[in-house]
Order: sequence, then structure tokens, then C-alpha cells
Amino acid sequence: MKNSNKLISVLVPIISVLLAFAIGCVIMAVLGANPATALQSLWIGAFGNTRNLGTTLARATPLIFTSLCACFAYRCGVFNLGGEGQFIIGSVACCYVATQSGIEGFPGILLCLIVGALAGGVWALIPGLLKVYRGQNEMIISIMLNYVATLFMGVVYTNWLREGNVPQTASVPDATKLSRIFGLRTTSAFLIALVVGLLIYYFLFYTSKGFQMRAVGLNMTAAEFNGFAVKRYVLFSFVVSGLIAGLGGSAELLGTQYRLINGFAAGYGFDGVAMALIAQLHPLATILVAIFFAALRVGSTTMQAATGVPTSVSDIIQALVIVFTVAGLAMVKLPQIKAVMDRMFAKKEAA
Amino acid sequence: MDWEFISNLILASIRMATPLIFLSLAELYSQRAGLVHIGLEGLAAIGSLVGFLVSLISGSPMLGVVAGAAVAILVNMIFAYATVTLCAEQIVYGMAINIFAPALAAFIYRVYFGAGSELVQVKLMDTLSSTLHINADNFLLKLLLDQTPMVYLAYALVIFTAIYFNKTKSGLNYKAVGEYPKAAATLGINVIGVKYVACIICGALAGMGGAYLTTCYANTYVDGNVAGRGFIALAAVIFGRWTGGGVLLACLFFGFCDALQIRLQVGSSGIPYQFFQMIPYIATVVVLALIGIKKAGPKGSGKPYLREER
Repeated sequence: MKNSNKLISVLVPIISVLLAFAIGCVIMAVLGANPATALQSLWIGAFGNTRNLGTTLARATPLIFTSLCACFAYRCGVFNLGGEGQFIIGSVACCYVATQSGIEGFPGILLCLIVGALAGGVWALIPGLLKVYRGQNEMIISIMLNYVATLFMGVVYTNWLREGNVPQTASVPDATKLSRIFGLRTTSAFLIALVVGLLIYYFLFYTSKGFQMRAVGLNMTAAEFNGFAVKRYVLFSFVVSGLIAGLGGSAELLGTQYRLINGFAAGYGFDGVAMALIAQLHPLATILVAIFFAALRVGSTTMQAATGVPTSVSDIIQALVIVFTVAGLAMVKLPQIKAVMDRMFAKKEAA
Repeated sequence: MDWEFISNLILASIRMATPLIFLSLAELYSQRAGLVHIGLEGLAAIGSLVGFLVSLISGSPMLGVVAGAAVAILVNMIFAYATVTLCAEQIVYGMAINIFAPALAAFIYRVYFGAGSELVQVKLMDTLSSTLHINADNFLLKLLLDQTPMVYLAYALVIFTAIYFNKTKSGLNYKAVGEYPKAAATLGINVIGVKYVACIICGALAGMGGAYLTTCYANTYVDGNVAGRGFIALAAVIFGRWTGGGVLLACLFFGFCDALQIRLQVGSSGIPYQFFQMIPYIATVVVLALIGIKKAGPKGSGKPYLREER
């Protein structure tokens, strides 16, 4: 029984991806391109050589952070839709320290990452506190704070830390940039993301605190009756998920972007939520899903150049993956469908 | 702070509140049938794009609004099928719609206008005073006559909603579905049917709210033009205590914040304009924080309804 459940939870996203690609191919064909060539160039653009692979992993890095952020909070039963705001506030704090403090090199990097993470955590504390003490809808609050954070970043790059005529901040000093791996565009930020993912995995499934937090997420009332400090866990999950996003923001600034500019991190928050849902809140699966989404994005540029299919087709495919996965996961939980599948698996085991 | 400033502020508040009224009513009809819909932002995005395109092609903003509503209904049928029939989690599926619908809107825009997109503009909907050839020159005339038909429609819908939910049998049945679907079903109310109807109404209103932005407010479409109004509408429903009148007041308040923000931007120098742009969002957070825990929403909201389940 347990094995069949696991199999289904892997099968549903895979079938969803195939369905989404099928629809994507139809769209490409309608636009007058050969779907096979388009998909081939998509693949080459994303994984064709080590350079492209490096770009894909670099693009995946911020997405891993925001999806881990969404994943962690939702494991505790609260929806943190503010990953984008926390990511941005983290990068703003990081940018301030990196360009203004004068501390460079490894200590500078360490300081920047810590300050960025803390800033993200503080930003997430606001919806967390309002949820716990005012019983407010944490989703709306965290989304509103996304807009505030984006506008605040706007103040920083058009006014306070602006450099020259272009609305952007100065670049972080060379000595504070994260080092590249094998000369690719992937930086040590990717390794940090992997470590964070592994730590979350360990915490959730191998510690008693993690178990209690998941219990709170599955049934708050039951957890409360069992004497778990529900409110404390909710607040904790919010702050930690903010820390993850803030760390991601500073890693992205030091690793890839180097300066704040219009459009920095736009859409990362909701993308993260989508990826966490497709990965069914499993931290390691989340990393894979993030790499898959990044591959679609990086590859779509090559696809556009080679076949003229606009990159927004890949956005549609990504959106369809989430639409199908969530519906599919709900479908297999319906009693009638569950009964059919149980019968199927029972037959297989008997045979 | 002269009279001119205040009267302009009031007129702008009415304009800015109108899309919020449509979106909040969409949310209200959805939640009254027990469906929490956080995907309004996405529905409004697709509504605003379709409204823009159709009014560009046909030259009629009215037709644009109708088309925007129709397409938003279609997109919302995905939500309806997934959450009502498949019992998917509503919040999660609302998120899915929020990602899917704007992607679709952006895609259609790119395909239609190509990569090198110059700013295309459409003619905005005429106000009542210009259709009737009345010269609205004082404040009262401007307030009453110098509005697009969409504004009158919004207020008519608020009045209709207040009467429908409180004074009609069908409205009470509708509310029963949101409060306690099992009890409603034992009384012979078609729970699934009401939920689907709710999704049709919700899609239509959200699409109209989105289309308002491109046919009555700004004469062009840009990605992200909904700018969080779908989420502010959610807050307006909570703030308005799930009633038609309350929602109207909440929307007027948020519309006022938006109008004030624009006026202040124009009037001040030295302070970065982004701080003024934050006002509507911060106002939403503050309002929600102040009204606190008192939960008055439909009891069955957010929960899936499975007929066989006890």
C-alpha cells in the first residue's frame, strides 16, 4: 500500500509534465515550428554542454531557495506566499553591507549572507506574528509585503544606493563575489542551496522537532491536544522560511546579479510555491523540480533563437505542469479513483 | 489642501475603487458558496488582456469587457472542476491559477504583437456625460455623471448582492451551501450546482474587474497591471465582513488609499515616489492587523465537499 502511494506521487508529476509538453508541442506546431526541432534545441540550450548546464544550475539556484522557503512553511501548515519579499529584503540588506561596510573577502561574504538571511527572517516575522497573535490570513499579509519589499528595493536602486545615471546600485566588490565552480556560471551559491536542502530534509524527517512541526502542519488541533506548542512552531516555520529566502536573496546578489536593478527576483516567490507543490513538499524533490524549471527557462532562449518559438511557450508549459499536477494529486485521492487503483495494485501483488 | 485637491481625490477614489468592487464581489460570491479563491489576480490578468485585445480589434470597449468576462469564466472553470469535482485544495489551486492565467495572458500578448512591441493604445470607454452630451463642470455633476457605465454597474451589483443574500430564498440557499453544505444538501439544494454557478459568477466578475483596467482606466496593457488588486480584494472581503455593503465600504477605503497615493506622488518632491506607492499595500496589512481574529466568514469556506463523506 505504502509503495503504491509513493509510486503514484512520483507518477502524477511525470504524467503532468508529459501532458504539459504535449500541449506545448501543439502550440509550437500551431505557431508554425517543428515541435521536435524546438524540443531538441530546448534540450541543447539547457543541458547540451557543460557551459549551458552551468547556466541552468545558476538559474536554478534562486528558485531552489524560494521553493525550499515555501516548502518549509507549508510543512507546518502555513502558507508563506511572501518568499519573493523576503528574498528581496535579504538581497537589499546584503547589498547595503557589501557596498557600504567596506568589509571584503571571505569575512565580507559571511557577513553579507548572515545579514541577508536575518533580514529575510525579520520580514517573515511580520506575517508570522500577525498570524499567531491576530489570527490573520498569513497569505494576504505576506503577499502585500512582497509589493512593499519590491517598492522598497526600488527606493534603494533609484535613490539611496544609486550609482550614476542608470537606476541601479553599484556592483558588489570583486572580492565579495561568490566564486564560480569550474569556471561555469554556477557559483558556490548552488552548493549553499544544496546544503540548505539537505539540512531541511534532515530536520524534517530525522529530528523530533521536525516531526512535531510536520504534525502541526498535518493537523493543528490534534497537535495542540498533544501538547505541542503550535503557535511557537508556526512562528518558527515562518521565520526559518524567511531566513532561507533571505539567504537565497543574498546568495543570488553575490553569486549572479552583483547589483540591484529593476526586475530583480520578479516572480521567484510564486514560482517557488509552485515548485514546492509539484515536489509535494519534499525538500530534495524540490531541488530537482527547481532545476527542471530552470532548464525550461534557459533552454527556451535557445529554442527562440533556433526556431522562433517565443520563450513564453515555456512559461505556459511550466504553468500547465502545476495546473495538471495539483489536479492530478487531488484526483488520485478521490474515493472512487482510490478504490480502482487499490484494486489494480492488489491484483499486481497477487500475480 | 484646497477644495480642488479634495474633489479630485474623491473622484479618483471612485475610479480606483471600481475594479476592486468587481474583484471583491467575485470573491464574495465564491466564498459564500464555500470556495476560497486566491486566484483572482490571475483571472483579472487574463480578463484585462482579453478586454484590451477585443476592444482594440472591435473598437468597442463594451465588447471588450464582455469578452474579458467570458474568457475569465472559461479559465475559472478549470478551478471549478479541480476544486469542486476533484476536491483539490482551494488555496493550492488558486495559486495554480495565479501562475497559469498571467502566463497565458503574457503569451497571447507576445504572439499577437510579436517581440518588438511598441505601446499599443485603445480608446477608453465613454463616460455617461459625454454620451449624453452633458457638460459636467461642477463637482456633483462630475461625481454623478462623469463616470463610465462600469461604475454604475458596479454599484448596481453591490445593491443587488445585498438584497440577494439577505432577502431572497435563492440567496439564502446559496449562503447555506457556504455555511454547511451537508445540511444544505439534505434540504434538497444542489450543492455542486451552486458551487459551479458561484465559479461562473466569480469568473465573470473577476474578468470584468480586470477588463475595467484596460478599457476604462489605462488605455494599454502591461504585464502585472493588476498589481495585487486580486489580493487586496480578498482583504476587502474580510474587512467588509462578507456582506455586500461592507465590501463596498472596504473597496472605497482601498480605492481612496490608491487615489491618495497618486495625488501625493504628484504633489511632493524629495521623497522617493515608491514610498507613496506602498500606501495601499501597507493600508491592507494595517487594516487586517487591526480587525483581528473575529471570524465572520462562511463556516464551510475552504473545505472540500464530498457527497459520500460523512
